[in-house]
Amino acid sequence: MLVSLLSRVELADPELLAELAGGERPIVAALAATWPRLEARTTPQRRIAVLAGSRRQRRRLEEAALRAGWLVSGGSADEMDLVALSRMVLSTRTSAVLLGSDRSPAGDERRHLPDLAALAAAAKQLRPELTVILAGGAAAFESTFAGATDTGPGPELSSDPPRELTAVVSEAAVRATEATDPVVAAQPEASAPPEDAEPGAEVTTWVADVPAPDDKLEGQSKATPDAPPVADLAAAPVLAAARDSAVFPSEVDRGVSPQILLAPDAGAGEPAGASLQQVLEGLRALPNDSRLGIARSIGSLAYVLDRTVEVVEIGLQGGLRARSEPIGGGHSAVVSSHACFADASFSPADPSEEVIDSVFAWSTTALDRHRLTDRLHDLRFMPWGDADGDGAVFRLAAAKAACSRLVDATPELTAHPMPDLMVAAGGIFASIPPSVVALALADLGRRPGVGQLVCDQARLLGPLGAVEDEAERRRLLANLADDILIPLGCLVLPAGVKSGRTAGKLRLQGTDPISEIELHPGAIQVIDLSPGRTARADFEFRDTVRLGTRGHHFSVDVGGGLCGLLVDLRDIPLRMSDRAESRRAALDAWQRGMWPGVDE
Amino acid sequence: MSVVERRSGPDFASALAHVATRRILVFSPTIHFRLSPGDRALVAPGDSVSTGTPIAERTPDAESVDAGRLDIEAASGKNGGAARAGRPTQDAGTSALWREGRLEAGEILPEKRSQMATKVGPWPSGTARHERRRPPEPGKWWVGGGERRGKSGKNRPVPRVGGTLLFEKQGRWRAAAGEHHQIVESPVAGIVREARNSVEVTIEAAGAAIPGAIAAGEPSRGYLDVPRLTDGELWASALDVGRAGAIVVAGSRISAQAISRARAMSIRGLIAGSVGQGELRDLEASELRQKASLAPSVPFGLIALDGHQRRPIATPVLALLAALSGREVAIVTDPPLLIFDVSEVPLPELPPDWIRVRSGIHAGREGRLLDTAGLYRFRSGVHLEAAIVRFVDETDTTILPFADLERFIF
Repeated sequence: MLVSLLSRVELADPELLAELAGGERPIVAALAATWPRLEARTTPQRRIAVLAGSRRQRRRLEEAALRAGWLVSGGSADEMDLVALSRMVLSTRTSAVLLGSDRSPAGDERRHLPDLAALAAAAKQLRPELTVILAGGAAAFESTFAGATDTGPGPELSSDPPRELTAVVSEAAVRATEATDPVVAAQPEASAPPEDAEPGAEVTTWVADVPAPDDKLEGQSKATPDAPPVADLAAAPVLAAARDSAVFPSEVDRGVSPQILLAPDAGAGEPAGASLQQVLEGLRALPNDSRLGIARSIGSLAYVLDRTVEVVEIGLQGGLRARSEPIGGGHSAVVSSHACFADASFSPADPSEEVIDSVFAWSTTALDRHRLTDRLHDLRFMPWGDADGDGAVFRLAAAKAACSRLVDATPELTAHPMPDLMVAAGGIFASIPPSVVALALADLGRRPGVGQLVCDQARLLGPLGAVEDEAERRRLLANLADDILIPLGCLVLPAGVKSGRTAGKLRLQGTDPISEIELHPGAIQVIDLSPGRTARADFEFRDTVRLGTRGHHFSVDVGGGLCGLLVDLRDIPLRMSDRAESRRAALDAWQRGMWPGVDE
Repeated sequence: MSVVERRSGPDFASALAHVATRRILVFSPTIHFRLSPGDRALVAPGDSVSTGTPIAERTPDAESVDAGRLDIEAASGKNGGAARAGRPTQDAGTSALWREGRLEAGEILPEKRSQMATKVGPWPSGTARHERRRPPEPGKWWVGGGERRGKSGKNRPVPRVGGTLLFEKQGRWRAAAGEHHQIVESPVAGIVREARNSVEVTIEAAGAAIPGAIAAGEPSRGYLDVPRLTDGELWASALDVGRAGAIVVAGSRISAQAISRARAMSIRGLIAGSVGQGELRDLEASELRQKASLAPSVPFGLIALDGHQRRPIATPVLALLAALSGREVAIVTDPPLLIFDVSEVPLPELPPDWIRVRSGIHAGREGRLLDTAGLYRFRSGVHLEAAIVRFVDETDTTILPFADLERFIF
């Protein structure tokens, strides 16, 4: 691809190419071979088997594993028999086993733990490639695994997979804000070892690294002057994941190194389970994972722009929701939090009935259930195919359904106010018109406030997040932010608009002529404001509404975008009929307003 | 639309490079047979297997069984224990309880060939007796009496159960065992790469394979039947008893009715362009019912070459299937493959610019790639990189997104 691009540059502007090559007219292939590479990869989906003594504990462990991006098979000894649990653990599709309990297990789970530990140890003996994580009180059964592994058990998480992934925050900033900010307050707790840690055992596992913003981050990317071989035709994109598996036999990769790990219990951290999530995420993700790279980029972007940034990323292997906020004196630090979900893929590998229902709920076309299921499965085989016409409409429904699952799974992020900058990322958003992406963000991020909407159209946030050096990443993003983030528009979302003929008036200053627009309850109104332009919007509402604060009159600065200024006067949360036809009609009406060419 | 056709030169090669490749053939594929607790491998790594060789024994009704204190029984001399022989307790084992062998005492083990039940890892040298007396370990084959499941009673025969050991806790072993067992035969010839009780058997198959997108049912083998297709499809009524033992090419889509009928007629498998998720669910439910009844059935496999939505089979693949007609082929489900002997199969000749539409409203149509059209505005106002294509039997050209196209390689 690089050779192809440079060949085009050579045809269009040979002097520019010579300048890139340092003065002399180069051979394109040779030039491309000398440039350094930054590699970022999406971690393939991996499955973890969760074992617990009780249903309550299983749910807590499953939630932590789900938030870390794992596919989860869960079972508890009080619900399933030992053969079924063994089947789950011994399946070759399972890469890791999480056996957990409370720090001080209650009777209901304590009586099952010896059986479960023996079962996990036996599984480890049969499948030495399994990684076993003992969480909370289950760590007391570490000795059960003594004969199950040649390398021997022990806390090995000091290899620090998670590092900065959950938080990039200076310790000073933590101390300064821990009393007020719940996210920041989480970090000191996450840094503390659990009370029941094995005496003498290393507790580096639980020490969350909180590097200063300029600290060098390790193992996140590989910038190398070694060039890959020039692509030939045979190396063109492969057909589909299923065909890959035909050639490459197993979905279980060897990325997770087999070992016995000790981890905190499912209640540690703030919010509960954050510490275990951090451990599991580090275990799952490749060192230069592009999805986690987006979270890192968002942190850098928040620092560079000095604004609160939130991202929703939807991909084939999962989804990510992340938020970064500048804090401290002079906003010298940034606090970040994120969660990855395999289930937030726009086309999950094995979609449950709930996933099918969620796509149904956001679909504007009438499809029978079987046909919708078939289309969703085929979307996984060909994620870039069928992207026009009704295929685009279906992809939008699948993306919105994935987004809604992601939003539902991250209530702690939804509890924050609307961010200054909301980013849509992922290939599925890159292939549909910008106005529809803006509508999707308005539909799903329903919090009162004013925010700028942008799209990572070139999908560069992930690769840039693979840059090792935080300072270098910030420099890059400071230079490139305007180019890689396509401005979609500005979203104004007041809460508490009452139904009636009119909701009030909007006066937009800074445009020529000054626009005065009547606001209609229940509608989403779009006002032209081209990218790069700013204006002052004076709102005069008939009733008291919430837009940051409560009041009738608001004056806010708004920026333009491809879509313009969106004033969303629909309900918060979005209320729609339970009847499929009515719901579909409402969604279709809003969509047509933003997507005039949908019927072409 | 008038387009100058360019089928050579660097630009055309660059255009072709935009098209996703689909490999029609893979050689010496690695296939997997997943095992569950209670199942054992009957082969060992390095073994050569041929068609029909038993490779595993499944225990479909496996349930958790208390196998008792195997070491103590051995040490105490129960069941002819080894303690009297002066062996250490850890290495002791007596008995019918751990007996796994079908070899006679004193028989020397061949270097490569294992006993019917295998141990993971290198096979220790020694006698069959020594092997039988291996200490209990997870996954080891175990046979025990029905009294261990509390089924003994007056005037009732004591059923014996067999399965694999699960784990040991405080000296007592639990096993996944059942009364009924099924032999899994290899549908292909090849070399065993991995064999682990309760986990999987992996075989590197000899020959070549056509990859599919979806597979369901069980691995099966039969002669390939490529009937005449009407409008790209095979009527379910064409699946009659005369095709028993065949793997039938069924055209663009398999219906639930065709699956039921094929199974009733002892047909070994179906191949189609696509199969719906509903049909797969029906097949799965039918298999579960069959397994629950514990009645032996003929293995039946199913392969969809493209996906779930209706699409005709690609003509190069159909040509390859036609060339294989009448020969023995095998359907394997993990990964989805149609495996055949590679020798003397004429491969269809394909022009380098031959493409097929794999998704979108033209899905399944084939033609030739003429040129690139750059960024193009498609329906719904979506902008995508486009290709100019001329379909078979058409004079006009069509502009399609590159992402909807595929080309074939061998």
